[in-house]
Amino acid sequence: MLMDFNVSTFFLEIINFLILLWVLQRLFYKPLLEVIAKRKSFIDQTVADANTTKQQAEALRDQYQNRQQQWEQEKQAALVSLNQQIEAERSLQLNKLRSDLEDEKQKLQVSVSRQQEEFKKLAEKQALKNGARFAVLLLQQTASDELEAKLTSLLIDKLSSLPNDCTSSLHLLKTQKTIPIKISSAYLMPVELRKQLELKLKALIDGTITFHYFQAEELIAGVRIDIDSWELNANLQHELSAFAELADEIV
Amino acid sequence: MENEFYVAFGPLMISGSVITTWGVMLAIACLAWLSTRHLEKLPDSVQTSVEIVVSAIDEAILAVAPQHGRQILPFIATLWLFLLIANLAGLIPGLHSPTRDLSVTCALAVLVFFSAHWFGIKNLGLKNYLRHYLSPSPILLPFHLISELSRTLALAIRLFGNIMSLEMAAMLILLVAGFLAPIPILMLHIIEALVQAYIFGMLALIYLAGAMQSQQPNS
Repeated sequence: MLMDFNVSTFFLEIINFLILLWVLQRLFYKPLLEVIAKRKSFIDQTVADANTTKQQAEALRDQYQNRQQQWEQEKQAALVSLNQQIEAERSLQLNKLRSDLEDEKQKLQVSVSRQQEEFKKLAEKQALKNGARFAVLLLQQTASDELEAKLTSLLIDKLSSLPNDCTSSLHLLKTQKTIPIKISSAYLMPVELRKQLELKLKALIDGTITFHYFQAEELIAGVRIDIDSWELNANLQHELSAFAELADEIV
Repeated sequence: MENEFYVAFGPLMISGSVITTWGVMLAIACLAWLSTRHLEKLPDSVQTSVEIVVSAIDEAILAVAPQHGRQILPFIATLWLFLLIANLAGLIPGLHSPTRDLSVTCALAVLVFFSAHWFGIKNLGLKNYLRHYLSPSPILLPFHLISELSRTLALAIRLFGNIMSLEMAAMLILLVAGFLAPIPILMLHIIEALVQAYIFGMLALIYLAGAMQSQQPNS
């Protein structure tokens, strides 16, 4: 009966269990626990490595952050230095530009003043030309034989008071046999004036003299006397020409 | 009631329970060998399952005896595995659970009894271990002794009674009601087998842990 206690079974079961315990200890628990322990060790090692890596990463991050701060400071310092250099260069360039502008301004002022001067001279020249033209027109309108007679009388008077150089030159003409004197006038010269003029000229020139009279309306009024290479003018056209030459000289 | 099978070799009588126990042992050993043939750091499904079982047993033991868990793990785990398979062996037609035999449960209970003393003396020393029988007062020594014997006897009788009664109830229902009638009883057998294996192993664990840690608060 099952309720009976069997000593053989009792001891055999004890032995059986101890054998099973030994077998499982050898085949099951020991290798399995070793593998679990190895895995745990591996996991712990991995975790430790991960922690080490994490610490290294954090250290690197801190180092990077520090380096970044240093870079930021260096950048700020470089920026300040660069700004100072830029400011200095800007001031230098600005001063140079101002100086150049001042030079250009002076040059421009000189150029403008020169242009103004030239313009002024041109205006004066133009005014003189206009004045001369106006004078020519006016004198052409107002010229007459009386004016010509007055100018001829004035010439006769002036012949008495010629400078010494002129009289000396006229005396040198006596070496020639006949001296032709060409007398031009805008109007027909009266005989009386011709005689006075001839007498005066004979007094100045020793020698044989021949007089030739011409009418030249371009003289406007007055006379022109050509003695060899000499030319004596007492006419409005010559005066106006001298006036125009004066204008050119002014320009 | 059926007659028990016996094979006699002189004075040594080999019962059917012993033979079934050998079969259970062989099955457990084969499973253990097959499951631990190729252990890898990265486990496959079989190894994972086995590791889950062992880890669960290990955690249960460490929860009761955190300082000596690894020391008693083989004994307790073997008890649990053996009792589980032995209790369930009765579900196989033609076989009976070895734990329905009082000799088997007494053998296991005696093993627990001696194991408790063995581990207690091993960890605490003989003097320290025996001292706990006199604490808190020497007057309690007889009660301690009675407790040791009674709990060992209770271990054996509890397991034997439960498993034997289940098998007997299933057999009686089969005889009375017919072929498929005992199926609910067999399902109850499964639950009872698990529960009884757990109770026996847990009590053994508590006895061993108590024996090993009985003097530790004073020491």
